[in-house]
Amino acid sequence: MGATQEATPVKYDMDIVRWFTIAAVIYGVVGTLIGVYVASELAWPFLNLDIPYLTFGRLRPLHTNAVIFAFGGCVLMATGFYIVQRTGATKLWSNGLAWFTFWGWNAIIVSAVVTLPLGWTSGKEYAELVWPIDIAIAVVWLSFGLNHIMTTAIRKTSHIYVSNWFTMGMIVMITYLHVVNSMAIPVSMTQAFSIYSGVQDAMIQWWWGHNAVGFYLTGGFLGIMYYFIPKQAGRPVFSYRLSVLHFWTLTFGYVWLGAHHLQYTALPDWTGSLGAAVSLAMIIPSWGGAMNGMMTLSGAWDKLRTDYILRFLVTAMAFYAMSTFDGPVMSIKTVNALSHYTDWTVGHVHAGALGWMSMISFGAIYHMVKKLWNTEMYSDKLVNVHFWVALIGAVTYIVAMWVSGIMQGLMWRDYDEYGTLTYTFVESVSAMHPYYVMRAVGGAIFNLGTWIMLFNVIMTVRQAGAARGVSAAAARA
Amino acid sequence: MDYLHTDWAAMTRNDWLGVFFAVGTFVAMVAVYVMVFNPRNKDALNSQGDMALRDEADYNNSGDKK
Repeated sequence: MGATQEATPVKYDMDIVRWFTIAAVIYGVVGTLIGVYVASELAWPFLNLDIPYLTFGRLRPLHTNAVIFAFGGCVLMATGFYIVQRTGATKLWSNGLAWFTFWGWNAIIVSAVVTLPLGWTSGKEYAELVWPIDIAIAVVWLSFGLNHIMTTAIRKTSHIYVSNWFTMGMIVMITYLHVVNSMAIPVSMTQAFSIYSGVQDAMIQWWWGHNAVGFYLTGGFLGIMYYFIPKQAGRPVFSYRLSVLHFWTLTFGYVWLGAHHLQYTALPDWTGSLGAAVSLAMIIPSWGGAMNGMMTLSGAWDKLRTDYILRFLVTAMAFYAMSTFDGPVMSIKTVNALSHYTDWTVGHVHAGALGWMSMISFGAIYHMVKKLWNTEMYSDKLVNVHFWVALIGAVTYIVAMWVSGIMQGLMWRDYDEYGTLTYTFVESVSAMHPYYVMRAVGGAIFNLGTWIMLFNVIMTVRQAGAARGVSAAAARA
Repeated sequence: MDYLHTDWAAMTRNDWLGVFFAVGTFVAMVAVYVMVFNPRNKDALNSQGDMALRDEADYNNSGDKK
């Protein structure tokens, strides 16, 4: 510990982290609630109520934007600003710019809530927002990136902790991916045409689509993992060398595998093969990272009995390992011939979203809430209840989609001795009904967990406020 | 060998850019592996494994083992 640092202690800028944290908790409730509604629409189509704003096609992108960019974005920005300050021994480079990021990001979320139900969309998956909002996203995202990178630059420590590498890797790559994928020629305020055509547009779209998964939903959240698991376990990272390798192999490798989304399309055959080969190769660093996170608990496994926050974090690693095996297997052409366009993909995505991304986020949020408000949780039991509710909800959802997806794929490819398809498409839709109900139930259980977290966090903040009031009164007396 | 045949004269600017980044990435990957697995770097890298645990004071006490 440097003597200079002790002589000149720096107070962190944590108000911005508190606001992003609270926003994340609220968006977690809203985003998953919309998900439950659209899942229910698939099980009971009358729920669209013949209102165009409530149809699946319009609400589904609202759900994905809410959970990925509203919930996930606020988690990433809260933890990004939290970790970079604490591991860099410095306050933020610009607290004002951080507030610009907060209000700008929330304004974008509000604009999504308005435009997507109105049907204003670019039609690109995970990049649905119309071009003026795309420009706003680039500006606000860059404000987050500039602040994070400059805070890293003014750090008081010589080493840049691996979590910050993951966050900065995400910032650089998402900027690049978002700008290139969103390139379009506007023809009105709500409509624009992509500058890419045909198969090139498809390739660019899935280059963005899979790397949003790779650098945002994986890299960004791995940054969270490498900080919060050691913190919560009170143990150093099992192998810091492995974490360095994990970062660089993901960074170099991920960008190559987007083409596996386009097997058996007009794309040249070799691009899909390359995508599948790199996807399989990525199992190695992904599992290395997952093992690194889990093995950080070496000598502290007993903590899982009593530390409910740690349960979230470690369970997330199990889902991370599972998703990063499931995905590469699905990218293999033979498997892809069965899995593509089925609910297996939806199950895979939600194993990552509910099991990995959400679980690691919940663990990080609970950890930060205790630190940020300098208090214990209002109810540790409710944290435990949330854990089990989230786990049961996630598993119910994922299993429903796996079974449904494999059944769909088998029904679509089945034919009789005359070479005629055995089932019509409608028959396959009808066969999915029980699984769609099961999916909606699983999602509802998961959503219930987010309400529990919201209640627990609100009560914890109120409890901390009340305790501060008592301390202040005692000091005055 | 026919499979590996390349018509170099037909390579466009985009093709060469692709080759440049593909080869560059491969070389960079090799460099990272050499750096991480070099026994001389082991202690220096692993000494940062507890960096997340060094910031527990009221104010900023994150340490540096220089």
